[in-house]
Order: sequence, then C-alpha cells, then structure tokens
Amino acid sequence: MSSGSTIAATKANATLDLAPAKQRSLWGDAWRRLLSNRLSIIGITVAAILFFVAIFGPALAPYSYTQQDLMRVAEMPSADHWLGTDEIGRDLFSRVLYGARTATLVATFSTTISLVLGLSLGVLAGYGGRWADMIIGRITDIVMSIPGLLLAALIAVSLKDPIVRWAKDVYEANGFFLFADTTWLDLLVVFGGLAFVQWPGYARLIRAQILSLREEQYIKAAQSVGVPEWKIALRHLLPNALGPVIVTMTFSFSSAMAAEASLSYLGVGIRPPQASWGNMIQSNIGSWSYRPWLVAVPALTLAFVTLGINFLGDGLNDALNPKSGKAI
Amino acid sequence: MLQYLITRLAIAVPTFLAVMLITFTLTVISPFDPVAMMLAQQESLDTLQKDEIIERTRKQYGLDESFVVQFTKYVERVLQGDLGISIIGQRDVLRTIVKTFPISFQLGLAGAFLTALIGIPLGAIAALKQNSWADYSIVGGTLVFRSLPVFVLAPLLLVLFVLVLDVMKVPRGWDGLFHHKTILPIFILMLGPLPVVVRQTRQAVLDIFAQDYIRTAKAKGLKMWMIIGRHILRNALIPVVTTLGFIAEGLIVGSIFLDSIFAIPGFGGVAEAAFRGFDYPMLLGVTMVSSLMIILTNLLVDIVYPFLDPRIQLE
Repeated sequence: MSSGSTIAATKANATLDLAPAKQRSLWGDAWRRLLSNRLSIIGITVAAILFFVAIFGPALAPYSYTQQDLMRVAEMPSADHWLGTDEIGRDLFSRVLYGARTATLVATFSTTISLVLGLSLGVLAGYGGRWADMIIGRITDIVMSIPGLLLAALIAVSLKDPIVRWAKDVYEANGFFLFADTTWLDLLVVFGGLAFVQWPGYARLIRAQILSLREEQYIKAAQSVGVPEWKIALRHLLPNALGPVIVTMTFSFSSAMAAEASLSYLGVGIRPPQASWGNMIQSNIGSWSYRPWLVAVPALTLAFVTLGINFLGDGLNDALNPKSGKAI
Repeated sequence: MLQYLITRLAIAVPTFLAVMLITFTLTVISPFDPVAMMLAQQESLDTLQKDEIIERTRKQYGLDESFVVQFTKYVERVLQGDLGISIIGQRDVLRTIVKTFPISFQLGLAGAFLTALIGIPLGAIAALKQNSWADYSIVGGTLVFRSLPVFVLAPLLLVLFVLVLDVMKVPRGWDGLFHHKTILPIFILMLGPLPVVVRQTRQAVLDIFAQDYIRTAKAKGLKMWMIIGRHILRNALIPVVTTLGFIAEGLIVGSIFLDSIFAIPGFGGVAEAAFRGFDYPMLLGVTMVSSLMIILTNLLVDIVYPFLDPRIQLE
C-alpha cells in the first residue's frame, strides 16, 4: 500500500513539476492517504451514517422508542415494522436508531473527557519533573491493573444513587430546571466511569510522545536557537504528537461504544426504557433461539459500527504515521 | 536477579493496596449500608428499637470509626481471607469465588493458549506477506473482533451454528474442560484478545525482518523456514509476551458475559450476578480477585522478560 501511494505521489509530483508549485500540507497529504485506502472509506461512511443517525435519528424513526403496540409483540420484520417489534411491542428499528444516539453520545463525551484528563496528566508527567512523572506513572499503573469494565461498572453502581439523590435535593431546594428529570444522569455517570477508565492510556501515550519527540533533532535545533519552551511545545511537539493521539481516539471511540453496551447489558449503564444496544441485547438474550432477530439486530448494528470505526482508525494510523506501519 | 525480583514485588504490593483503597472508597461513597441492608428483612422490629439496633450494630462492625481506621481494618480482614458475606443468598464471598474460579481459570488458560496458537502464526504470515491480500484479510478480519463484547459475539455465533448451519446443539453447562461443550465458549473467549496478539506479532516480525542479522542469514543462503524458525519467531515472541496482561484482562471481562449465556458455573457468572443484584461485598471480592490476577500476570511478565531478552538490564 505504501509503495502504491509512493508511486502515485511520484506521478503526482512529476505532473506538478510542470505546473506552478502547489503547496501540500501535512494534513492534506494525510487526507489523501486516508482516501486512497478502501477500508478507511468504509470507515468514514459508517462514521458519517452513525453521526447522522445519532443527530437526526428521532426525526427519522417511524415510532417513538417507548411506544408500545401490545397487539403486535415480538413480530417478525414487516412493512409496518421494518425490523419487527420487540418483546413488549416496541418498534425495533426506532429503538436501534435511538440506541445509536445513546452510544454516540456516550462515546463522544467519554472520549473527550478522558482525552482532556489524559492530555493534562500526560503533559504534566512529561514536563513536570521526576516526581510528577513518577506519581502519575504509579497512578496510571494502578488504574490499569483493575479490569476497565469492572472499574467503570463499579463507579457507575457506586456513584449513581448519591448523584441522583443530590440532584433531587438541589431540585427540591431551588428548582434548578436541569435536575427536574434525572434520566440523563444515567448518561453522566457512564461518561464519568468510562472516562476514568480510559484516561491512563492517553496519559501514557502523550508522555511517551513528549519524551521521544524531545530527543528529535528539530526540537534540539529549536532549543539551541533559543525558542521558548512553550512555543516549542505548541509549534513542534503538539502537531507531531497529534497523529498517534487521533488514532488512539478513534479506537477508544469504538471501545467506548462497546463499553457503554456492556455496562447497559450488566444493568448498570443506560437503563430501560432508554434505548441502548446493550440493554436491548440483554432483555432478549434469553430468547435468542426462537426470536433470533431481537438479539441479532442490535448485536449486528454494534458489530458493524465498531468495525467501521476500527477500519477508520486503522486507515488513520496508516495515513498519519506513514513511517510506523501498523502500530497497536 | 534477586534484587530485581524484590523491586518488582515492592511495586506489585502497593499497587494492590491502592486497588483496595479505590474499591473501598467507592463503597464508602456508595449508598450501600450493610447494616440497613441486613436489618431490612427484619420487619418485626419497631422503629425506635430499630434505630437503636442499627446504631449498636454499626458500632459493633466499626462503621462509626474514621475512614482510615475502617480501611486499615478492612485490609486486615482481607489479608486474613475474610471478604465478607454476600447480600444475595448470604454466601461467604471468598468461598464462592474459590469454588467458581478454577472453572473460569481453566477456560481462560485454554483461551490464552489458543490465542497464542492461532494469533502468532497469523501475525507472522501477515508480516511475511506484507501488503498482500493475506495481510489485509488477516489484519482486517481480526479487526472485527477488536472491542466486540462477548455478549454480541456469542448470540450471533449461536444463531449461526445452531439455527442457520445446524451443526451443534446449544452448549450449556460444565462437564470439565475437555468436553466438546467448551469448544464454542473457548473460541469466543479467544476472539477478544486475538487482534492484539496478531498485530503485536505482525509488528514484531516486521521490525525484526529489517534487522541486519536477518540480512546476514539471507546472504549466507539460509533456508527461509530456518530463518523464520530460528531467528524471527524466537525474537518476535518477546514483545508478544508483554501483551499477556492485556490478554488476562480480556479473558476476565469476557468470562463475565460468557458464563450466563452458556450456563457455566464460573467466576464470571458470579460477577454478573453481583452487578445485577448490586451485591456490594461480592462486587468488591470479584474486582479484587480480578485485579490480583492482572497484577500477578504483569509480575510474571516482568519476571520472565529478562530471561527472554537478556538485553534488558536487571535494575
């Protein structure tokens, strides 16, 4: 693949030599490399559909996610219900669309929160001297030695009720409108739990990037001509460290979607009647042998979406780190 | 060597203590009050009496003491092997875990073995045929299973094998590791960590392929299969060993979902039931044992690594 794109690049250069020199940016190159990979085009398409459905899903859904039709329980797919109805007569297609919104929301927020946490701690470990590095290193080791899903689930179980109770108190005391309805706190607890589990990966990655990039000659050169350290960090370190971070973000986006489903499957994440692919699988797994579609539809949706995002991550890895080949 | 071992242990022990601190802190924040839960069943007590009894029992269990004192006592109890009594069914937590753990451990070991047996050759083939269709299909094909939970894979494979292809009956229960019922569960367990092993092996083989000694071996006319066997695989295995901790985590998390689907009376089923029932003592026990397994696996990797790679300095 790399040889193919080199040939393509040389060809492009050969034609460009005749034309007035056109500037090609780092990101432009990466984008071109990304589009030259068939799998990452599948990934981009899946991601685009996912975000579209997450935003406009409720408008596209033929039914509401709670609307029951008790005369038509657990039906096979039909013209009225494209993917059939679930065990209590709700339209499966609509619930899958709403589930996409839940999964995307959780993945987006938990990835962002953990990125911010991991970025700050990673920078602190890389720049803050030996003690900061050692302490943050120990903390990451500790958090990473608890299985991520168990820790996230434990956090969700432990913090959910105190937070809901606190929100109710605040609402009763001064009628703060946000706390009138506490269903979205489910989401908040899941964001927090997952973010707490994911940040060590980023912190380690960013620390390693800082330490290895600082040994590069162009950084040494900038230091020797007296460029201030913050300017080096912003102008040279950050853009070079960004590639691996973006790749990791993509993969942890799909992991976060899977983790949300897992937490909801265990009954500690998004709880019914809110739609989550995880709790949809959970409530029908006992009857997989005679209503296979009720399990297969959310399971296949989750599988396709995570696969698509992983393809995108893989493509981004090739596009952004052309030297490194396929890293983890 | 001895000093190296001691340093590794000196890191592992406080790590485990810190894990206990995190889990214990979470229970203190949580709404779970063991005494209230215990007395919830006894409705015959009238309210006045109840408050008094709750007060007395709390004192008896030391729940009125400061956080530090409580934590110290908790660590003491855990070290003595007392993990408490579960809320659901009032079972001894440690005994329940000890009873169910060997089943999951056997399944997990089989899964890890199979992951290595399939993942390492696949990764090596992908690297040796880099940028060919074989490489793409191995890397792309295993990517499917990356971050795909067991409860998604298991029903899909069950539908495929039992309903569509009709090649097996639904495997349920536990009749020892070498019963044919365990084939599908172990296969599903293996798929989770497989992509990581494949990629790690692929990367390692690619890195080694670029080394001078491989060029020398080729130049002196050594047969390709000998180069692969003697030089490449031996060295490529070293970085793969470091993924062992990750594999252990994947297997533990996988078994949480696996056990109830296949009615396996294992550790994972206990964990799942504990989450569903908000059974705190059991949850703490399960989390602690899982973390201990990961810490021990990482310790094992640390100990084995210098033997595999003598370049690592023992410090």
